[in-house]
Amino acid sequence: MIDEIARSITGIIDETEAAARAARTPEELEDVRRHALGRRGALAGLFGRLAALPEADRARAGAHLNEARRRLESLLAARAAELGARASAARFEAERLDVTLPGRRGPVGRRHVLRRTLEEIERIFIGLGFEVVEGPEIEQEEFNFNRLNMPADHAARDSQDSFYVTDDLMLRTHTTVVDAHVMVGRTPPMRVLTSGRCYRRDAVDATHMPVFHQVDGFMVGERITFADLKGVLATFAREMFGPQARTRFQPGYFPFTEPSAELAVRFEGRWLELGGCGMFHPRVLEVAGIDPERYTAFAFGLGIDRPAMVRFGIPDIRLFWENDLRLLEQF
Amino acid sequence: MRVPLAWLREFVDIDETVEALVERLPMLGLGVDGVEGAGASAVLDLEIASNRPDLLGLVGIAREIAAWTRREVRLPPDDLADGGAPVRSVAAVKIADPARCARYVAHVITGVRVGPSPPRIAGRLEAAGIRPINNVVDATNYAMLEWGQPLHAFDLERLEGRRIVVRAARPDESLVTLDGVTRPLDPSVLVIADARRPVALAGILGGAATEIATATTTVLLEAASFQAASVRRAARALGLRTEASARFERGVDPEGTLRAARRCAALIAELAGGTVLRGAVDVYPGRTRRRAITLRLARVPRLLGVEVPADEVVAILSRLGLEVRARGRTVRAVPPAGRRDLEREEDLIEEVARHWGYERIPEALPVEVVQPGRRMPSIEVEAAARDALIRAGLTEALTVSLVTPRLLDRLGLGADDPWRRAVPVQNPLTADHTHLRPCLLPGLLEAVRANVSRRREAVHIFEIGRVFRAGGGAPEERKALAVALRGPWGVGAWGEGGGAREVTFFHLRGALDVLAAELRAGELGLEAGGPGWLQPGRAARVLLDGAPLGVAGELHPDAAARFDLPGRTYVAELDLDALLARAVLQPRFAGIPRFPAVRRDVAVVAPEDLPHAAVVAALRATAGELLESVELFDVYAGPPLPPGTRNLAYALSFRARDRTLTGEEVDGLIAHIHAALPERLPIRMRT
Repeated sequence: MIDEIARSITGIIDETEAAARAARTPEELEDVRRHALGRRGALAGLFGRLAALPEADRARAGAHLNEARRRLESLLAARAAELGARASAARFEAERLDVTLPGRRGPVGRRHVLRRTLEEIERIFIGLGFEVVEGPEIEQEEFNFNRLNMPADHAARDSQDSFYVTDDLMLRTHTTVVDAHVMVGRTPPMRVLTSGRCYRRDAVDATHMPVFHQVDGFMVGERITFADLKGVLATFAREMFGPQARTRFQPGYFPFTEPSAELAVRFEGRWLELGGCGMFHPRVLEVAGIDPERYTAFAFGLGIDRPAMVRFGIPDIRLFWENDLRLLEQF
Repeated sequence: MRVPLAWLREFVDIDETVEALVERLPMLGLGVDGVEGAGASAVLDLEIASNRPDLLGLVGIAREIAAWTRREVRLPPDDLADGGAPVRSVAAVKIADPARCARYVAHVITGVRVGPSPPRIAGRLEAAGIRPINNVVDATNYAMLEWGQPLHAFDLERLEGRRIVVRAARPDESLVTLDGVTRPLDPSVLVIADARRPVALAGILGGAATEIATATTTVLLEAASFQAASVRRAARALGLRTEASARFERGVDPEGTLRAARRCAALIAELAGGTVLRGAVDVYPGRTRRRAITLRLARVPRLLGVEVPADEVVAILSRLGLEVRARGRTVRAVPPAGRRDLEREEDLIEEVARHWGYERIPEALPVEVVQPGRRMPSIEVEAAARDALIRAGLTEALTVSLVTPRLLDRLGLGADDPWRRAVPVQNPLTADHTHLRPCLLPGLLEAVRANVSRRREAVHIFEIGRVFRAGGGAPEERKALAVALRGPWGVGAWGEGGGAREVTFFHLRGALDVLAAELRAGELGLEAGGPGWLQPGRAARVLLDGAPLGVAGELHPDAAARFDLPGRTYVAELDLDALLARAVLQPRFAGIPRFPAVRRDVAVVAPEDLPHAAVVAALRATAGELLESVELFDVYAGPPLPPGTRNLAYALSFRARDRTLTGEEVDGLIAHIHAALPERLPIRMRT
């Protein structure tokens, strides 16, 4: 009887092996498993006959059957893995992509190149402890000129030919006018920066627009000197144009500063004019209610548009205002 | 100012090469615009600051070079040989407008023979850019180029009454100037008149009737100081700019007038013969004492951040022609005639700084109370708004803030639209820049047009900028935001229905939603309706927590056509100030829900003209406080639905803050919605 069971085990194993090999899908394989190992399967039938065996043979036959179950399970698992791998391979083949096809992109927004430049400059001066403020584009003539030591019929007004909207309201010709506002009512020390649009009656050409951008800053304190002005602007230039950037300060003339200087930076083998600067004229401090004996102040005004043209290699200032996306998307 | 180097050398020794000069002059504040010729015949073209009339004379330039090279200046000769009758016996001068004429000096030279100047003189004038006329006129220009003092020669015989009267022009007067142009005058123009009529525009240009001609034998030479503002105004009004007006506009010092007159009179006698009558008529109502300026030496490092030795300070100022007296730690200095720009201590410190050398001032970093840098809040929120739109995929444009009403016409603004209240510029330069923009969209659409004309399909742009509107009082200035979208959204949409996805109204809405959400500014709502330049039925008013914020919609085809835009363009313009005022940039953590949400879907069949917003409002009203969110996930119209209706499907999410909701509880809420919603709205619930 025990031999008969042994024969049956061999038969079940051979049969199941063949059937598993023949199974082509996980479902077919499951049928095979059920047939061999299921609750009413072949092996279960043999287990049922154990009770009828003599005590002496029972343990041995049980061991045989357990061994057989392990073999069958591992055999079926191996086949299952084989079938799984084959199915995955087939799916992977079916889902093969042309990975060289173009990517899908949502639109990517950008800052205007001039805004980017303004923000770059602001960031540098914030790092130097400046407070960034803003002011209106329509200004009182009183602030735009008189309080900056440019009374009516001052010759320096010639270079700032202005648009008027009423007899005493005009479009600001420089952001320095914001300085004149900010200083009133504040107590030094002050470090202030402002930026924005300015307007002058310049005919449109490759380097002129009646609308342009400026950045203006000033610092008031008890020990502020021209050397500080040089230091702050040289630091700015190195941040903006790289650690090797050399700056040049040449004497210049602005009614609101004394001494005055023109600032340029060496860029790609040429001097790039950045703007004007100097120590605030004592009269400018006086009208703002600041005692020029106790406090000194430096101030600077930087052009944005023309230096940006040179820095980025943009040949015509009008391109900033055309908003050709082929240009804007390069920044 | 064109400076012939050979001529300049008469006043100061210059051993330096032209190259060295070109290198150094800008470091003294004299910009070099160009150099003509080389070596001894070189001519420098210098750019002169508007506060330095003295540098429009060679003596002034020589002083700068002398102070740099530490040499002495040789002034032009002052050896006038006058004689014969006293000048007062043949000519009289009256200044009737002393506010505008501080000084008038006249010499009379008799017996001159007018003819061409010798080549030495004519050549120098030509090199300096002035056309030689005759020996008398050339002498006036020659002396002007030396001293920077404009001079004018009259034919005395043609001056009626042999009188000079400096006065305002009378209303009906006119003058034929040297250029042959008849110029009508008014009292704002100061003239030189004789006993009867104007004979010259003071400080600007002489008259034809009294000019030096071949027959002239007696010359009245004028050297005067006219008020800078008056000359500037008159020259601008008359559209004239001359060598004389360019100098007077900068302010010619009356203290230098007599000296230049004497030099010129001597030159006339030398070039044209004749006798300089004895003395000068010198009317000087505007005499001001030359004042000493006190310079505290301690103030130099205080302002410049560098110690300049006291003897250097004295040396620099002396070479520039100042009379300097040092006393202890102060220096008192009297500027030379012509340096009216030197008024106070700071002016002297600038002179010291220029000649000490800006490049020798060290770079320092300020030692002051340190404060953290920051942006003022209005700039911070504007930047946040810009950032939100950029992250939403839009690109920033900048357009010119000067426009013309024609541009507004292209949008098709109604006559009473508030955007019609554009602020006119009083003195526009060109016909397309006559007004300040009252809104951003027309300019932005012009940018769209430019891109479309270059065959660009996808244009998704915005602008943030100031707009201006006329009102009762001063013009109003506000920040605005405009958006324009058209063409495909994103790239690489191959294989999706065979084409790219075009932007829709809802892409525009999405961008505005992102903006309001990122700024945490409140609930953005759109309601149907809006201006006539939007396509009817696709126009909306934008509301922020119910208050008007702007407009959004599809550009009306007529407006689109006026901007040469085929197809659909979606636009919006918002009052950015109103939005920014409500922005919250520092949110507080609201916590993360501890209990799960339960989702249920609800679908309604509604008339097509019932807005989604109304359904949502009714859902919120009937669902109770446990309703956390409502999300529309499908809109369908068509069979089997009755015509004129559509199906709206919503995902409702319920959540309690303090417990896990049971399915039964939520089912109860849904049942309530099913019962209550059709009572509020003309809809049918789908099950």
